[in-house]
This record gives sequence, C-alpha cells and structure tokens, in this order.
Amino acid sequence: MANRFVIADPNKCIGCYTCMATCVMQHQQVGLQAYPRLQVTHTLAGTMPIQCRHCEDASCVAVCPVKAITVKNQSVQVNETVCIGCKMCALACPFGAITPYGTLPPSLREVGTFEQYAYVPEPRWPAPLYGQSGQTTELHPLLAWRIGQKAVAVKCDLCQFDEAGPACVRSCPTKALRLVEGEDIERLSKLKRSGAAIETASNVE
Amino acid sequence: MTLGGGAMTNTIPEISQYSDVVFIIGSNTGECHPLIAKHVIQAQSRGAKLIVADPRMTDMANKADIWLRLPVGHNITLLNGLMHVIIKEKLYKAEFIQEHADGFDDLTRAVEDYTPAYVEDLTGISQQDLIAAARLYAGAGAAVILYCMGVTQFTYGTGTVASVSNLAVITGNLGRPGTGVCPLRGQNNVQGACDMGGLPNVFPGYLSVTDEKHRARFEKAWNTQLPPKPGLRIPEVADAVHQGKVKALYVFGENPVMSDPDNNHFIHALQELELLVVQDIFLTETARLAHVVLPAAGWAEKEGSFSNTERRVQRVRKAIEPPGNAKTDWWIFCALAQKMGAKGFEYQNTQEIWDELRQVVPEKWGGMTYARLDQVRGLNWPCPNEEHAGTPILYVGGKFTTPTGKANLKAVLFHPTGVAEDKIKEFKNPIVGKIAELPDREYAFTLTTGRRGYHYHTGTMTRKSLPLNQVGPEQMVEVNPQDAAVLEIEDGDYVKLTTRRGNIAVKVWVTDRVPEKTVFTTFHFWEANVNELTVKDTDPLSVIPEYKVAAVKIEKISLAEAKALYLEKAQKYRVELEQEVVAEMQKGWRV
Ligand code: SF4
Ligand code: SF4
Ligand code: SF4
Repeated sequence: MANRFVIADPNKCIGCYTCMATCVMQHQQVGLQAYPRLQVTHTLAGTMPIQCRHCEDASCVAVCPVKAITVKNQSVQVNETVCIGCKMCALACPFGAITPYGTLPPSLREVGTFEQYAYVPEPRWPAPLYGQSGQTTELHPLLAWRIGQKAVAVKCDLCQFDEAGPACVRSCPTKALRLVEGEDIERLSKLKRSGAAIETASNVE
Repeated sequence: MTLGGGAMTNTIPEISQYSDVVFIIGSNTGECHPLIAKHVIQAQSRGAKLIVADPRMTDMANKADIWLRLPVGHNITLLNGLMHVIIKEKLYKAEFIQEHADGFDDLTRAVEDYTPAYVEDLTGISQQDLIAAARLYAGAGAAVILYCMGVTQFTYGTGTVASVSNLAVITGNLGRPGTGVCPLRGQNNVQGACDMGGLPNVFPGYLSVTDEKHRARFEKAWNTQLPPKPGLRIPEVADAVHQGKVKALYVFGENPVMSDPDNNHFIHALQELELLVVQDIFLTETARLAHVVLPAAGWAEKEGSFSNTERRVQRVRKAIEPPGNAKTDWWIFCALAQKMGAKGFEYQNTQEIWDELRQVVPEKWGGMTYARLDQVRGLNWPCPNEEHAGTPILYVGGKFTTPTGKANLKAVLFHPTGVAEDKIKEFKNPIVGKIAELPDREYAFTLTTGRRGYHYHTGTMTRKSLPLNQVGPEQMVEVNPQDAAVLEIEDGDYVKLTTRRGNIAVKVWVTDRVPEKTVFTTFHFWEANVNELTVKDTDPLSVIPEYKVAAVKIEKISLAEAKALYLEKAQKYRVELEQEVVAEMQKGWRV
C-alpha cells in the first residue's frame, strides 16, 4: 500500500497559518520539537502549506547516515532522538519539507539576533510525556541538550502519536487540508483509468 | 455621514449564502479575518465571483476572478473609475438613486474625469480589467463590499469610505441580503468599544456630545453635568502634551508606544507627562514607561459582552479567576471614580452596567437582556425592545438613518500630488485627497504597513505564545524580486529601512506579494517596529494617521549592523525591564 500524506488545496487555502500554529502545539504537547512541520508558501500561482509527501523512494531515508529516518506504518518517520542533525536529508528532500531545528551551535549563535530576547513563558497546558505516562510539558530528555535543545531534522510525522490523526487537517478553517490514504490513491487511479477508457472508447468510430 | 452609521450594514453569513459578487478592497481578509474569508471561499464554491483591489498579492487577491493591483494609495482613483464606467454604461439603479439618495449630479461630475484611460495612466490597471470589474459588480443581483484598514489609514481615508458607499448606493447594493458595505473590524470588541462611546466625540450609541438633546439625555441619566466639547483623538495627544495642555495620561487596552505613527514623537511626549497610568494584562512597551501600572484581567477572566464586527452582541463569561491582583477594567474605573468622590459608580456586576445602557439608549439595545443573550447566539443592534429580533441588515428598503433619510452621495477627488483648486471649487463640500509623502530620489520606495496572520498588533499577547512565535519568530520586510535583484539583496539578508523619522533593521523576504518599488512590513516587533518610520499626517475628518504610505530608503546591512540596531531598540523599549519583572514575579514577588 502506498504511503499516506497530507496535502492542501490551493483553491481553498487562505494563508491564515492556523495549521502551522496547531502543528507546533501538537508536537510541543508530546515533547517533540515545537516547530511547524508545514510551511505556508505564497506564490503568484497560489498559496498552500507545503509539507512532507511521505515519498515511496524517499531520498531523505536514503541519505541518512544513522538510519534515523525509516518507513513505517505507511509513512516516513524521523526519530528525532536518533537524528544527529547533519542536515543531509534537508538538502536531499525535493520539497524542502525538512527543517533542521534546535539550538544553534555556539559558533553560530551570534546570527540569532532575535533569539537573545525572545521571551516565551512556560506553557500552561498539561501534556503527556512522550512515550510514557505521566504529566509534563518538558521536551523529551534526549532532545533536551546541554545548550537547550538538540538540533535535529524536523518534518511532518502525520501526527502518528495522535489517534485522532493529523491536527492540521482538523484545524484548517476552510478545510483546505486533507489526508490522502494509500487506498485513496488506488481508488483515484482506478477512476482515472475508467475515465480514460470511456473517453477513448467513445472517440473510436 | 453618508449612510447614517459606522458599522457593517449586513452580516457575515450572508456572504456565503446570498452574495453573487464579493468586492474586497484594502483588506487582507485571508490573514486578518480568516473566518470571514472562509465565507468568501464558500461563496466562491457556490459560484459567486470575487473582485479584489489590493497592491499586495494577498491570498484573496490570488483567488480573485479579477485582481485590480492598484499602487498603494490609489483607492479613490480606482473607485471613481469604477463609478465612471457604471454611470457611462448606465449600469446604475436610477430608481433607487432617485428615491433614496441625494447628490447624484455632483457625483457624476466628480467621476467624469476618471475615464478608464486616465485610471490606467495613474494606476497601471488595464482598462479591460476596470470595465470588467465595474460590469461584474454593477450587474450582480447582490454584491457586498468588504473593506478594512487599507481603505481608512490614509489622510483621505474618509473620502475613500465615502467612495465605497457611493458605489454601493448607485448600484442599489444596500438593504438586501448579501449586499452591503462592510468595514471589517480588527478586534473582537472594537465595534463594542465604539458603540459604548469609547470615542472622543460621542456618547454610547453614537450620540454626539455637541448635541444638546443628547447631552440632556445622559445628564439626566447620570445626574451630572457633561462637557459639550469633543475630546482629543489619539494622534492629537502627543502634540497636546508638548503644548502643555495634557499633563496626565491614562492608557488601557492599548500600546501606543508601539502603535502610534512616528512613535519617537510620541515617546518624547510621554516623558513630559506628570502622570502616566497604564492598565494592561502585560507590561507593554508603554507600561514600561508608566509611573503607575494597574494589572487588568484578560478576556477569559471577566464577565460582560462583546460586540463583533457585524454589530452582534454576545455574552462573554468568566472561565478562570484573574491572576494575582489583576482586576477587571470596569472594577478599576469604578473604584477610582469612587476614590475621587464621584457618585453613580456603585455597580456590583456587569449586568447592572448593561441594564443601564439598555435604559439610556433603548433604540439600539433596549431589547437585549442578559436573559435573551444567554439563550441566543447574540443579537444584532438595533434591537429596541424584547419582542424585537435584532437587525441583521441595516437600511432595508433604502431607509437610511441620515437626517434626510436619504443616502448622501459625496463628490470625492484625488490625485497623488493634489487636485487643482479650480476643480475643487466646482463642488459643494467635496472630499479631496493627496498622498502626504511621495517617494523621491533619496527615499525611493513606497513603504506600506499592516499585519501578519500569526501576530496581533503590537505583539503584546501573541508574542507570548510559543506556537505563534514559532510560526512568526521575527520581523520581515517584503521586497519584490525585481527590486531585490537591482539592490543585490537576497532573501534572508538584513536591510536598514530609513525614513525622515527613523530607521530599523529588518530581514528581507523576497516575494511577489509586493509590487515593484513597494515594500511592506508590520508593527508586531519592537526589534523593528515600522511605526518608527510611518508618517503622522492624519485625515482631517477622522484623524486616522496615514499608516499605509511613506517614502523609504533601503540599504543592505551586515548582521553585525543589524544586531547593533536591535541592541539600541532593546534599550529604547526597555526590554530587560519586562524580563526582570517576570523573573521577580516567578519568584513569587507581587507588584
Ligand atoms: S489552516 Fe488551512 S487555510 Fe489556513 S494556511 Fe493552513 S491550509 Fe491554508
Ligand atoms: S522529507 Fe522530503 S524526501 Fe523525505 S519523504 Fe518527505 S518529501 Fe520525501
Ligand atoms: S500531519 Fe501533523 S505533523 Fe504533519 S503537518 Fe499536519 S499537524 Fe504537522
């Protein structure tokens, strides 16, 4: 079965960024990197968020030197605790769907001019500890790092930890986002084949 | 002034249900009013057509059937051009105008010169597009106009608003479902604040303070004497302080240090005050300069009602207790008034205040009891008695609330560098517009300002939210790819933006969202607040500042230079102070 993925309809997307904020919250609550895993992209041809397509022959999987990215459960998943932040996958991904995110190494910190003043209060909502029971809002211990946060490859994981499915799909006010399942692709192809057959047949004298 | 009221004439769900044509002008609806944009998208999928007039490639512009990409500041040129076509091609509703409007002859003469060729000349909008848009709008069974700050924040904003209403009136697009003139309010309750008389010239219900009759009504209800003179409007405050006319300032629910145009001027004024009191939920940039800070309760911590952009009054209920010593705004005001020895401030709860309003201004709110508001999802004013179902659509049957009962069609004239005196003299009280500061050799670009989807105004609240900060961590200035190539700047580089009033360092976003020679940025970030750059010239009628146009210079700078500028701003806005106070409070220290 083909991999699943979330995709947006540019005719419906109004560029409101709700999906991005939801994605951040969703991952923060389970102790993963609190970073949007989809990026609203504005072009003259249309606006839509871009995220991972969960490729069948994924170049990100192929280049990862520590096998942090694997195909499982009809999706491509990065294990953020294994990732060493080498950025190869980000370079290889044809969709720009991977962002290295985390604390900048000290040599680069000067660059983060804003970060120095960014004041973000502790989150108030309770959240389950990643992979365990209990209540915490902390980052997963392996992602927490000496300087603060380990820099890793961050990309759409289809919210695989959430039974309710992709959070962005639920939050979009115009229902521009949808989850495409492997079965959908097969059904669609079947439909298109019938269409092609009908067209060809009716054009044969 | 033109129709008789200052609010959305129709309601939001009508857009998706009834409108055949939606005309958006000066509103980035997708980012700034996503829930209203949702109704526009639904209307489109029902087959409605969308016209968008915006210099920026907003997401609604991208989805428009006709996108009129006018240069910043040319709204009146465009609207007069549309009306020119509508009048020339006799697409207007003659009967409606005859029965329900005054001033059609003046208007016809005023738009006479704005031929499609002239408009194309001034704005670059093709004659074809202009004519197509005019025919589409005028030919619709029901057409609605949505507008926002891209219409009002000019020195001639009132003129543009009058033009918008002219257009709706001559095509009979008022008083029916799916039609109307809809100013979109930027805040959940800014309509409510204005309704309640939170303006310097009116009492609750937009009753003018200069009118003896109205004054008498409130003097009787409040058993006191009321001044007949309108107060100062926000942009006038700084000058009044400099002149020594204002010695104390009490600011609440507003962060003028960040949001006032040419804010250096304003900050200097604050330093001359004998007393500055700021009442807010956070230690804003303004509060950091205050002598006294009063902690206020947030929206989830209080009772009351909100009135949204469609005049719908809805109840809000307390979900959590305010933290620490924070109190609701009304409680603080009443306590202060009592301390000062004033009578009549002995309210126990918000219902008592609301009921008083219902009694004093029954024509608008008389029928909106808390009991009714509890049962329904809000009521639209006017709602004069308890049997009344509220008024979702204003001016049904062309009955306007002007003194004559008719809509006033106003002659509005505009040219970027000014309109000739002779021309102006041809009309009785025309509204005339020109741009306060045009680009020149040194300041070669047009700077326009606004908001982004993920941050709200001066960032007082949204910059404290982790998810929103992650979506929008820093200030960006939109630069057209052509300009970027000429200036040799790349996406992510830093530039210094300089106007005659100040300078800021900003990261560049190279994007087609802005037209050539135009750059856009926001006032969300103290690190690079565009209001250090904006002009403080205002509309003579509404006193709204010209936030939307200024002439600006762009220079590429290094990271080190950008950082140096940020450090300067950090001092200016006393950023450390908030961090210190927060750290103290986390230790359990009470202010
Ligand atoms: S939430 Fe929906 S409409 Fe908003 S940006 Fe995301 S995909 Fe687009
Ligand atoms: S990250 Fe990029 S390469 Fe990897 S699966 Fe997603 S879209 Fe494909
Ligand atoms: S599916 Fe989940 S992880 Fe992927 S973009 Fe949506 S919210 Fe983020």
